[in-house]
Amino acid sequence: MLIDTDVHERVMYEELLPYLEQPWKRYIEDCHWIQEKHMPYTQPAVAGVDRADARIPDGRPAGTDLSFMQQQLLDANNHEKAVLTGALDPSPSSMHGWYEMATALATAYNNWQIDKWLDQDERLYGSIHIAAQEPWNAVKEIERIGSHPKMVQVLLPIDDKLWGDPYYHPIFEAAQRHNLAIGMHHNEPPVYYGQWPKYFIEWHTLIPTSHMNVVTNMIFNGVFDKFPDLKLIMIEGGFTYVPFLMNKMDQQYTDLRHEVPWVKRMPSDIVRENMLFTTQPLESMKKKELMQIIDQLGSDEIISFSTDYPHWDYDSPDAALPPNLDDDLKEKLYTENARNFYPKF
Amino acid sequence: MEQKVCHKEDLQPGEMMESTLGKHSIVVCRASDGHYYAFLNRCIHQGAPLSKGKLCGAPAPTDNVGEYNFEKDGDILRCPWHGREFDVKNEGRMLVNEKYKVKNFSVSVENNDVIVYN
Repeated sequence: MLIDTDVHERVMYEELLPYLEQPWKRYIEDCHWIQEKHMPYTQPAVAGVDRADARIPDGRPAGTDLSFMQQQLLDANNHEKAVLTGALDPSPSSMHGWYEMATALATAYNNWQIDKWLDQDERLYGSIHIAAQEPWNAVKEIERIGSHPKMVQVLLPIDDKLWGDPYYHPIFEAAQRHNLAIGMHHNEPPVYYGQWPKYFIEWHTLIPTSHMNVVTNMIFNGVFDKFPDLKLIMIEGGFTYVPFLMNKMDQQYTDLRHEVPWVKRMPSDIVRENMLFTTQPLESMKKKELMQIIDQLGSDEIISFSTDYPHWDYDSPDAALPPNLDDDLKEKLYTENARNFYPKF
Repeated sequence: MEQKVCHKEDLQPGEMMESTLGKHSIVVCRASDGHYYAFLNRCIHQGAPLSKGKLCGAPAPTDNVGEYNFEKDGDILRCPWHGREFDVKNEGRMLVNEKYKVKNFSVSVENNDVIVYN
């Protein structure tokens, strides 16, 4: 069995139309609005950023069809649960203006997600999309949909904003109150200080650095002191950077606590008590290397397997982790850690 | 074991198809020179079905940053997931490290039939 903590469903814009009020609907229908895009690279893998065999046979993009996902992913890998994390298109919280449109898109997306995915397969759980640029409207959306039993987290992009700033804390207060985790996933362009590096391979190699920005920012801005029950899951950045970051933050905090007196626990304790890290994209490693990293983390309960289906760097549940892991560790990585992390599981 | 997998004209140069050899899923490739090659249809990395990838070319190694010389068009089998490149005319060896290869099978053409041996 598997609880997959990163599965990307994808919407075609025309599918959002029935869920949008005017005037927002007409901006897509009549004016052909699309999410602002920046990636300058040509297709990095055989089928762009998707698995070539995940394209829907009728030609639609990967991730757009529930029955195909059921067949290729959920049934094939014996999924117990899968957490949908969107395709970051649209990504309301990544918009650099027109936050009213972003708010409308978030609401439409959430309603579409519930109708077309969460209500259609009991294994699927969802992420609440918000337009976080205006926290008061984001909180309204969390209030509206946060009690849905299959919505398990609020999704925030890792982008050019650092969400730990107290300006955004009402979002975390609302999430905690509704037993929702915060899920963070990188969008475009999360590294190089908001700029793109020259090559895709540079960007993709350095994605964990953007996750390090966010973890550091959330801790030292006091989010987990203010909301001690809040859970944060870092999605698609892997976990091998975490031991270094824990040590570095602890050392810095030991020296520089006077700057952040609102932080009351050692950063590494906050990481272990409040966070979960998804495994994909796994670097190749032997069992011994994995066990060394877990030893350095000081816990085997803060990492959770994810496939990243249907993207090109998908990790196979059968082949991505090193072989011959102990059964109790496998159970933690494949199911138990995610089950214990999400307040609604 | 030997098995007829297709007719000659079923594949044009630069095309590939999935087939079976006994209990194995295999991928049969027709390279740019018209010759046929057969491999286990399973990437050595995480087991992706190679037949769902692309038979394509690859930029040649170069000493000059920014220089792209696309070569071997129709000879490189690229994995549908992570994009690893295998040279079908070099025993299925991986371009980035020739030490690693996809399992290959012998192929012959008899009359109009393409036959794979294990």
